[in-house]
Amino acid sequence: MTRDVAIVAFAQAPLDQAPGQTETLMLLPTITDALNTVGLTRRDVDFTCSGSADYLTGGTFTFVQMLEAAGAWPPISESHVEMDGAWALYEAWVRLQHGDVDVALVFSSGRASASASLRETLTFQLDPYYLAPIGADYVSLAALQGQAVLERTGRTDKDLAQIVVQRRHDAIANPHAAVSGDVSVDELLRNDYVVEPLRTHDVGPAVDGAAAVVLVAGERARQICDRPAWIAGLDHRVDPHYPGVRDLAQSKSAALAAARAGVGNGGVEVAELCAVCTPEELVLTEALGLGDAVTINPSGGALVANPVMVTGLVRIGEAFRQVHDHGRQRVLGHASSGPCLQQNLVCVLEARD
Amino acid sequence: MTDPVQFMSHHTAVEYSLPEPSRLGVHFAVQLGRGKIIGHRCPQCAKVYVPPRGYCPLCVVETTDADEVSIADRGTITTFSVITPLQYPGQQETEDYVQATLLLDGSDTTLMVTGLEGIAIADVRTGLRVEAVWAPDGERGAAAVGVRGMGLGDAVKGWRPTGEPDLPREQLAEHVL
Amino acid sequence: MAERCAVVGVGMTKMSKCRDDVSMAGLVREAAMRALEDAEMTWADVQAVVIGTAPDIFEGVMMPELYLADALGATGKPIMRVHTAGSVGGSTAVVATHLIESQVHERVLTVAFEKQSEGDTNFAFSSGRSGGVGAGGYFAPHIRAYIERSGAPAYVGPMVAVKDRKNALKNPYAHLRIPDITIEMVMESPFVWDPIHRLESCPTSDGACAMVLTNEAGASRATKPPAWVHGTAVRTELGWFPGRDPVNPKGGQDCAADVYRQAGVTDPRADFDVVECYVPFSWYEPMWMENLGFADVGDGWKLTESGATSMDGDIPVNCSGGVLSSNPIGASGMLRFAEAAQQVRGLAGDHQIADARRALGHAYGGAAQYFSMWVVAAEKP
Repeated sequence: MTRDVAIVAFAQAPLDQAPGQTETLMLLPTITDALNTVGLTRRDVDFTCSGSADYLTGGTFTFVQMLEAAGAWPPISESHVEMDGAWALYEAWVRLQHGDVDVALVFSSGRASASASLRETLTFQLDPYYLAPIGADYVSLAALQGQAVLERTGRTDKDLAQIVVQRRHDAIANPHAAVSGDVSVDELLRNDYVVEPLRTHDVGPAVDGAAAVVLVAGERARQICDRPAWIAGLDHRVDPHYPGVRDLAQSKSAALAAARAGVGNGGVEVAELCAVCTPEELVLTEALGLGDAVTINPSGGALVANPVMVTGLVRIGEAFRQVHDHGRQRVLGHASSGPCLQQNLVCVLEARD
Repeated sequence: MTDPVQFMSHHTAVEYSLPEPSRLGVHFAVQLGRGKIIGHRCPQCAKVYVPPRGYCPLCVVETTDADEVSIADRGTITTFSVITPLQYPGQQETEDYVQATLLLDGSDTTLMVTGLEGIAIADVRTGLRVEAVWAPDGERGAAAVGVRGMGLGDAVKGWRPTGEPDLPREQLAEHVL
Repeated sequence: MAERCAVVGVGMTKMSKCRDDVSMAGLVREAAMRALEDAEMTWADVQAVVIGTAPDIFEGVMMPELYLADALGATGKPIMRVHTAGSVGGSTAVVATHLIESQVHERVLTVAFEKQSEGDTNFAFSSGRSGGVGAGGYFAPHIRAYIERSGAPAYVGPMVAVKDRKNALKNPYAHLRIPDITIEMVMESPFVWDPIHRLESCPTSDGACAMVLTNEAGASRATKPPAWVHGTAVRTELGWFPGRDPVNPKGGQDCAADVYRQAGVTDPRADFDVVECYVPFSWYEPMWMENLGFADVGDGWKLTESGATSMDGDIPVNCSGGVLSSNPIGASGMLRFAEAAQQVRGLAGDHQIADARRALGHAYGGAAQYFSMWVVAAEKP
């Protein structure tokens, strides 16, 4: 018997930060903003969960510093995952199912700019015996997936570029987009390849970021938020790690997570997908069963800004905005992790008038 | 037929850039260059933080230049440990040294300091009053102000006993670390 | 109304300085397979995996749940990786417990590991910079402060070091085996971080621990006695702020109060039969005894000195040998939770406390700022 839990607030740190801004100071006002929008303070939070990854900045225990933004005195009930904040949201949702507490704060942050090369840093995510030593980086692996998708579907780099045209256009309205504007397919196709078939525009720009989401269970959500986005389904699944044993043109774990999250039970109007490279959008659109009527990534998605370790949480936050700010009834936010969409999380949100 | 692989060396290197100093960090370093230590007093709880971090973690509010206060360059050792340096890759320390927790007069937060001078390791004690040994004017490099924001960089070369009577333990109870 | 949760399978690996006989995948599988065997289950029965480990730099693998998903039979299942510093082994078990209690899953495999031999832990603790003092260097001033405040005699810490290593001789999985250890030997070992002698400090170990958790229906089908979870709690506090007391942290007190309230514990010394608590440096036993309410402030050392915390005392602590004998950091917290469970299941082998019915599992991490605890018992809650 699941307890009704809703997202009632979402805030994101501005892209424009003072030089040398610490991650803590990027996060502190973001958390305050999220709580303020629903009239809550840190004292009202019953459970806190965050996501981050040390390897982005090369520190150890870097998440500990973020406690200073969370307000961990007096002591709080709190946990952390070394994953995208979307999984911290999952843990918080599970915690709220217990029934003894009602309010959870979820946040994540990351300074991808600290890595001299994000492609190098993320090779550490791979099997250290067989994959990491061949220097397989996330863009090269995404290119492998891209190749597989294009062959399977008969699409071309023009189709990939068309996705980018749409995302960058939509991103004009998104202050958190690192790249936006109107551009043509032809212009894009003049860009250099990073790894064929991916050109520079096919890879979302990695940026520093922070985001916070507030979850509230039961009636309390309606008391403090005029239009809560109720979590109608939330599930995550993982595929085998090795790209070589998978059919890269599809994502079984995304499909499974979507099925378990009940995407099909009524469909969705909007899907915010965590696709950091263009072919991933094609794979995910198919895996999640999203037809042409579904609006994909109205925020521009991860192709216009990839705040590593926050990107998935931001997709769910943007899905919340679609319900709360734009009057949508049923939407989904998606998060992914690992090479070639190895792990996928799907969150279905709905309005209940 | 080859032997099964038991070990493989996989040496990886990955580069990171240390964050550039914040405006507040630069300001703190400039003041150190002038032989001054500053802190921020929280506008809500009035606790004084040295070095200033731009926020109070207890009240979770930001602090600004308006909250700046001057801090003495002397204080009290609240606790310490004698470190026998662990030899890990990149370690440059070889001799035993004292790592002390220092509460500067006027501050509510402590600093981790090394470089106690003019005192034998065996004589270091809780309650000891010490003062800063400043690098000569012009040699107080701002560059090395602790990247973790916990120290005074190389503007202060060390700490020496002032000769004052020790502060009684009861007055330090709030500041073990 | 929360579903009941029980531990029906426990598995751990032999812990040592270097498990050069297994890869990381092999290490976690060893623990997981033992837990599944103990639970009389197969990989197919597992619905979700929760894995915990401490900083990725210890092994040089970022987000290892991705690489280890295959080894842990997680394909098509949810897998999550918890990281709460040294307390992670405990908080991982807590997250797994929530998945059962919330009825999201019926059977969860939880694993915690560290393969510290792959990297250099001291380098990792210093974030690659010179002058880093290591974990012990950080805690030594706290310990000094405790000794000064309590007036405890200097041999108390060494007594803990001897007790735990002697207990470890009864645990075939434990890393350190020092059969001839004595208080004199400990006190004569060099200081690494004065006042901590080398022999009062935990080793650096490779190891993994796993448990299978299930609901009431699942536990009723188990052929071996389950360990019922009577309460779980986590608390975190800032590690550094004016007026902080890191010697008797409020986070630890609050965490204990929460889990005791859930479990109906009012007098820890009387209500528990055995304790597994996270003691990486000997003096943390008396310190945690106070923090957890087994002794009044200032008196924790008397529990050690009187023999109360030894295996034939009235409140045995760390019969497994504890962290002082084996410290694969990410796993250490789960080892405490698992050893507590084994005690109340009657499956702790040579280090079993007779008739242990209720046990406390405790873990801490960071600047003594992260706490995770659980209470397990032979009876259903």
